[in-house]
Amino acid sequence: MFSGWSWAVHCLYLFLNICFLEVSGGLVQSCGHIIPESPVLALGSNFTALCILNESCLDFGNIYASQIIWKMKNKVVPKEQYREINITVSSVTFNDTSSLASPLTCNVLADGQIEQNIYGISVTVGLPPEKPENLSCIVYQLSNLRYPMNCTWNPGRHTFLDTHFRLKYRWSRESFPDCIPKSVNNSCTISDVQFFVNLEVWVEAANALGKAESDRLVFDPIEIVKPLPPHNLSVNSGILPTVLKLSWENRISAAVMKLKFNIRYRISSDTNWMQVPPEDTASPRTSFSIQGLRPYTEYVFSIRCMKEDGVGFWSDWSEEKVGVTTEDKPSKGPTVWRTIDASPSPAFWIVRLMWKALEPFEANGVILQYEVTVRAKPPLSHPPWKYNVTATTLTLKLPNGTYEVTLIAHNRVGASPPSVLLIPSSNSKAPVKNIRTLPKDGKLWVGWTAPNNVLKYVIEWCLMSNSSDCITEWQIEPGNIQGTYLKGDIKPFKCYLITVYPLYADGQGSGQSVKAYLQQGRPSKGPTVQTKKVGKAEAVLTWNHLTVDEQNGFIRSYTILYKTVDGNETAVSVDPSKTEYTLSSLTSDTLYTVRMMAYTDEGGRSGPDFTFTTQKFGRGEIEAIVVPVCLAFLLIVLLGVLFCFNKRDLIKKHIWPNVPDPSKSNIAQWSPQVPAKHNFSSKDQMYPEGSFTDVSVVEIEADDKKSFSEQDLKPFDLLKKEKSTSEGHSSGIGGSSCMSSPRQSVSDSDEGETTQNTSSTVQYSTVVLNGYRDQTPVQVFSRSESTQPLLDSEERLEDHAGGSDGTTQRQHYFKQNCGQDETKTDKPFFERAKQIISANEEDLAGFAQLQISGQSSQPLGFELEENTQEAALSDVLQTSIEGQTVRPETMEGNVPSVDEMPKSYLPQTVRQGGYMPQ
Amino acid sequence: MAAADTPSATLRHHDLCSRGIRLARKMRSDVTDLLDIYVERQGLDASISVAAVDGVPAAAAECWAEQTGTQRLLDNLAAYRAFRTLLAQMLEEQREQLGDADAELGPALAAVLLQVSAFAYHLEELLELESRGAPAEEGSEPPALPRLSLFEQKLRGLGVLRELAQWAVRSVRDLRQLAKHGPGSGTALGLPESQ
Repeated sequence: MFSGWSWAVHCLYLFLNICFLEVSGGLVQSCGHIIPESPVLALGSNFTALCILNESCLDFGNIYASQIIWKMKNKVVPKEQYREINITVSSVTFNDTSSLASPLTCNVLADGQIEQNIYGISVTVGLPPEKPENLSCIVYQLSNLRYPMNCTWNPGRHTFLDTHFRLKYRWSRESFPDCIPKSVNNSCTISDVQFFVNLEVWVEAANALGKAESDRLVFDPIEIVKPLPPHNLSVNSGILPTVLKLSWENRISAAVMKLKFNIRYRISSDTNWMQVPPEDTASPRTSFSIQGLRPYTEYVFSIRCMKEDGVGFWSDWSEEKVGVTTEDKPSKGPTVWRTIDASPSPAFWIVRLMWKALEPFEANGVILQYEVTVRAKPPLSHPPWKYNVTATTLTLKLPNGTYEVTLIAHNRVGASPPSVLLIPSSNSKAPVKNIRTLPKDGKLWVGWTAPNNVLKYVIEWCLMSNSSDCITEWQIEPGNIQGTYLKGDIKPFKCYLITVYPLYADGQGSGQSVKAYLQQGRPSKGPTVQTKKVGKAEAVLTWNHLTVDEQNGFIRSYTILYKTVDGNETAVSVDPSKTEYTLSSLTSDTLYTVRMMAYTDEGGRSGPDFTFTTQKFGRGEIEAIVVPVCLAFLLIVLLGVLFCFNKRDLIKKHIWPNVPDPSKSNIAQWSPQVPAKHNFSSKDQMYPEGSFTDVSVVEIEADDKKSFSEQDLKPFDLLKKEKSTSEGHSSGIGGSSCMSSPRQSVSDSDEGETTQNTSSTVQYSTVVLNGYRDQTPVQVFSRSESTQPLLDSEERLEDHAGGSDGTTQRQHYFKQNCGQDETKTDKPFFERAKQIISANEEDLAGFAQLQISGQSSQPLGFELEENTQEAALSDVLQTSIEGQTVRPETMEGNVPSVDEMPKSYLPQTVRQGGYMPQ
Repeated sequence: MAAADTPSATLRHHDLCSRGIRLARKMRSDVTDLLDIYVERQGLDASISVAAVDGVPAAAAECWAEQTGTQRLLDNLAAYRAFRTLLAQMLEEQREQLGDADAELGPALAAVLLQVSAFAYHLEELLELESRGAPAEEGSEPPALPRLSLFEQKLRGLGVLRELAQWAVRSVRDLRQLAKHGPGSGTALGLPESQ
């Protein structure tokens, strides 16, 4: 603790002492200094510095050289580099100044511990200047009198020091002020130099580490002049159309410098310069005539100059001057070609002559007109046709034949040589073979295998497009070539149809064509595919070919890509000529997505997706199911029919029991003349005598079918012999019955007249006309259950109650049955019936039959048409038999069921009149 | 003389003569242009007649054709040294009159002055080649010219330029003579040079 306090006090004392020493000697009095003071050192050299302490510091601060510490920018220099020369001097040595850093300070450790700076210096390290190299000078002419000289040199390496360059020049006996570069260290410009006196020029570079001089140049400044180019150029047309005279002014005096020149020129539309031979312009001059130019062509001229002997520099090129040569007559005739179209008249051609306007270098002026001469060749004989046109086409209607077309172009100076085109009547000569194309250098080359003796070739081509017509372009090539580039604006991705015609001296070969692209690309779109037919496992896809505008190249193949929703995509390659393809092995009832890609040599592009679903059943599957089912059904039906047929009696018995024909029933024999054969004893007992004198009752024992058939129906045998079928009449009920036959019905109807006549005497219904037991007799018509067929007239009666046809029928009817006067047929037949009754009661039976027939005709007639509409039947009855007391409901109520139906045909119950059901 | 007999000395002599001639021609051309500028800027009449000016050497010489080469060189050197002094004074006077505003006359005068100096240098070189050595100039300071009025200064300047133009023509002829006969032709050259 004590030692620490004592150390601090000592340090404070020392610090105060140093301060006191410094201040007491003056404003700043250092304890020492360093030699050398702020040196500039060469990079890489060695360096030694000395720190010299003041002796006063020895006395007051106890500071000695041994305590000195050297530091470079706060970094202590290793003590191996120190050397204590004496008690007040310490040196430090650096073998390589490149390791030096400023500041270099001399410090002491006061009392062995506190570091105190004594002095410091700044060390500058750099390099001496190198010898400037590559000194060169050039004298620029700025005006007629001003010739500044600019000299440049290579200043050498960077010295890291402030280095000054001076361009020095002098005559041998006279020096001039140095030229000091401004802002640069490698060039300087002397404002004016004097020609014809040798000038000595050199560069001096100097910095703190040294001085260096370049090699000395001695030259006459006139030898390094870059003169101003000639000016005030003018171009004059010469006498000849191929000559222009160029004049100019030189801007350097011939007394100073004799000049030679370069003259260049070009056609205005061209970028390539041509040059007049230098030897032609190697002498001083102010004009020159340029020859060999094209007539009527605009040229651009420029000129430059330099010292005649070639020592020095060329001037810049002068400003450009334009001149135009005069016109000359066209140097060649236009190339001519033709197209031939059929005319409405087969004996004529539509010949369209076309020729190319001459190039400017061929036209040699302004073409004023073209002279076209068409000469017919034998066998045609016609004076030549001559035309003067200004356009480049001419359309003619010529008779079929061979022609020679001559074309001459005229300008102001003269006419061109003639161009001749032979138009043969047919292209009978040999065509070219093996025509092919090749894109090359951005142009389209077409080649062919040439036939012999070809005079020249015509190459036609046109751009194929859906949006525009094929505009034919053409060019003519000499006959000794077998290929050429198309001279036109050939666009990439466009299809060109190229045709080559060989022209012979005496004819022409047919054209051979090829399609070509300058550059192919991917199609701009893909084909749009769709299904033509979709099956269970296959689908027929169709698409349209891409248009030529969409193809962008030759379509090499199509690829059909299809997949299910969650399946992998399957690709199928298709020939590009196809427009239909059948996908097979598809899964039934599955949604497929299909798209199509079209490929050229450069790639493909896909069309839109199309989806379809395969069918659940294949073709014929449904038929395979339905047909057997139908057949089975038909078989069952047939079997059923057969069964019914076999069991018809049984069915008939249960469904529609046999209804005997009333005409064949015993009642038919019921007449006063026919003695009753049946045993009516029971009925006689039931109904006392006299009560039913007018009533005949037929009782048929249903169970006694045999007896009925054999006994009761015997009286009908006679009728049967007269009628073809008696069953036909009884089958009228339910016209659809399989037991009935329409044919039979028709035949029955035909014979119905006879039947009616016969049956008019057959009474099968009961009619009670007299009162029963003193009751007022009521005309009652009871519906018969008979299935006897109704007469057609009866059926029509109801249908045509108010119609004329019905009237006719009724008339017919009554004529047949009643033999009444036709004048009475307008009355309702029921009314007439009453009249008949009153008039002739002897015919009661027949009358009764009529009435029954009239009643029965209505429902039966309906049944024929609509045999199931019983309700309608009753309505009709009510309507058509207005005023009658017949009540269908009563009848319905009394109609026994099939089960209850007695086995015999019985007249219906009469509510009043004493006729009672059995 | 020995040095003048060597082939390199001959070449050097010929080169100096050739370039001297061209320099004299250029000087003649430039002085002619300068005369136009001078007359215009000083407001003088180009046709004005100027009497002989003191201190301006006359180009005309009697018995010119009989002069030796060395004599020709010495006459030329003396004349151009005088012109150098005169032109320097004219340039100073012109700067005093017009300052730096005149960007044409001053530079033109300076350019001609430089040419005069260059031609004098040529002459000195030729005299060196003649093993004759150029005579030293008369003191470093030019002789003090009489103080003239402004108009007299202009006239004197016009006279200097006109005489310089004459001297340029004569110098061409002198150097041609020298070039014809080569170095060391210290004797009279005889035939006159046809222009």
